[in-house]
Amino acid sequence: MLSDPTGSWTPVVLSADLPPGTVVPARTPAGPIALWRSASGRPSASADRCPHRGMRLSHGFVRGETLSCIYHGWSYGQAGNCLRIPAHPGLAPPETIRVATHPVEEVGGVLWVGVGEPATQPPQLAGLVPLRSLQARAGVAAIEAAAGAKADADGLLETTQGSQKIHLLLACQERDETLIHVLLEGEGSVAERVAASRAVEALRRKAEALEMERDAP
Amino acid sequence: MKLYDYILSPSCYKVRLMAALAGVKLDIRPVDFHPGLEHRGPELMALNPAGSIPILEDGDLVLTESSAILVYLAAKAAPDWLGGDAAEEAARVQQWLSFSGRLTASLGGARLHEMLLRPGDIGALQAQGIAALRELEAGLFEQSLRGQRFLVADRPTVADIACFPYVALAPDGGVSLDPYPTIRRWSRALRALDAFIEMPGIHRLHELKPEPHIESGEA
Amino acid sequence: MTQDAMIDEWYPVGLVSRLDGNGRKTALMGEPIEVASDTDGSARVTSKGRVLPVRVRYGHVWASLGQPQKELFAIPEADQPGRRFVDVGVVRVRCSPLRAVENFLDIAHFPFVHTDILGSEPHTEVQNYKVEIREDADEVWATQVKFYQPQAARSASGGITTEYMYRVPAPTCSVLYKTCPPRPGEWDVITLFVQPLAEDLCDVWPWMALFDDESSMTDLIHFQQTIFLQDRSILENQIPRLLPLDPGMEIPTRADLTSVAYRRWLKRRGYTYGAQLVAQ
Repeated sequence: MLSDPTGSWTPVVLSADLPPGTVVPARTPAGPIALWRSASGRPSASADRCPHRGMRLSHGFVRGETLSCIYHGWSYGQAGNCLRIPAHPGLAPPETIRVATHPVEEVGGVLWVGVGEPATQPPQLAGLVPLRSLQARAGVAAIEAAAGAKADADGLLETTQGSQKIHLLLACQERDETLIHVLLEGEGSVAERVAASRAVEALRRKAEALEMERDAP
Repeated sequence: MKLYDYILSPSCYKVRLMAALAGVKLDIRPVDFHPGLEHRGPELMALNPAGSIPILEDGDLVLTESSAILVYLAAKAAPDWLGGDAAEEAARVQQWLSFSGRLTASLGGARLHEMLLRPGDIGALQAQGIAALRELEAGLFEQSLRGQRFLVADRPTVADIACFPYVALAPDGGVSLDPYPTIRRWSRALRALDAFIEMPGIHRLHELKPEPHIESGEA
Repeated sequence: MTQDAMIDEWYPVGLVSRLDGNGRKTALMGEPIEVASDTDGSARVTSKGRVLPVRVRYGHVWASLGQPQKELFAIPEADQPGRRFVDVGVVRVRCSPLRAVENFLDIAHFPFVHTDILGSEPHTEVQNYKVEIREDADEVWATQVKFYQPQAARSASGGITTEYMYRVPAPTCSVLYKTCPPRPGEWDVITLFVQPLAEDLCDVWPWMALFDDESSMTDLIHFQQTIFLQDRSILENQIPRLLPLDPGMEIPTRADLTSVAYRRWLKRRGYTYGAQLVAQ
């Protein structure tokens, strides 16, 4: 996996987990972000902090094409500019009030957030269908050990669990935590997808046990 | 029906929420749980020797287990919320009703410790809470694969109401909900139900109403 | 942490009504303390064997780790006949004690956080009000604060425009005076007393002195606990946990003039326990 995150993409959430009109928290090498999708379906990523009183914007709400802070209702557009301050309904917020934004790409059913200005597009993940995301209290090395495979430069690894081929897209979070996106080769039946989900739960248990062993004195 | 109620208790909130969704009017009797410890006083102990709330009184029926109260309210006023009779569906309802007790013990214990300074091993409570949240996340995810948005079916049941409050309030006990995308979607679906009511710590979904505009000059 | 002017202030450390001989172990600005009733029933607060200065007032036991230069601030309404005094009880919050006070001074969040109780859309506008640092009393005051409220108090049955006065008589305490529906001409008193456990952790002890002969004591407690618990989830999610005193770190508007004055007063007095002085 890449060691210098600048100019790279981080897979933060599956498309299905960000329906229109919602906001979710996510972590990237650029810090915590609020990832939101407008009513019309456009995804945006902003810093997860309202510049007014520091409240996490991922606790906020999406109305139409704006993200609002839950604390005082300040709303922001996709470009991060403040559009409305409810305490002063007649005031056009000055340009200086804005939240930092990050590039977002939606590729292959995954939402990617860029750190800096990536020169390339996120990986295509051709032929792979996202299943679910889960967080592990284990570093990439422990997950690789549990999966018996190494992740490539995009953070993707392939493992066989039982009779199923499963692909894991790994994103490092802070302090030996890893976000795992599970991808399958094609849709598969409901039973196959349930089995894959359970197999990855088992893999996570194994990786976390390995991580604990590593940490033990 | 009379509910002995504490506004900050997620278990009491289950009952208030179920009643609101089922259209049942409750006669609320507030209990000074904190700081007064009224639930341990003689009047309440006579009703419920376990010293816990909620307590639901209806005639000479006294119920002290929140899951039983949910079932009673649903059976009386909104039988759809009981889930279907088919073996699997009925069993799933029971599975999650029992599971909700683990949420109370873990996330509820952590919340009482972190918020109201009740004793407890906070590390253990939080770890058990995280284990329960992971189980719920996996269960809800499998349901979504079956095309069902809720714990038992594609419509909410008493099982969802039994599990929702302690989950939604997990951050009160220092347990983050950030890592659970399926729980987030489920929680949102419940909060968006008609007649849904909040409790302190669960904010209004302001997006359900359009942005209001006000005529200039109006207060 | 260097010595802070806040060391000589009084802080709430427990409810008088809950004092007992066994003692309650708690903390004050990082120091473990114990709050107990003495053999004669008076309150006794100790830190590592050292007996701290103590006051018993407004339903609470107050203590100081330093040498208080001033007496505990006065709330004359606490001696007014006809009022009911409400011990709301403690709530712990993982935030700076100063953030807890600042939130208490804020009205613009009512429609979004205390929806349908203390505020509701579209009534979000904060009209101009007056703020001053009263040098003689060394207190921050905001007056003529008005806001439309759907249910301003336990005793209110419909929406009214409520008037408030806010007062900060100590760095971690605020006293709110609020229109009193049953008694025009009088003010209900609602306080927020904050015990700083650490710079980013506090125990909050709301207390009230109300004119309300209708509501039960439990109703009054629950109303205030409801309001505070709605705030708690905000307070635990503000970044940074400490209150930034660097003006570049957070952007105020006219609605925030009380908070601007509060932050300025804290900085001027060197009340910086729980504050962040420079942006990080």
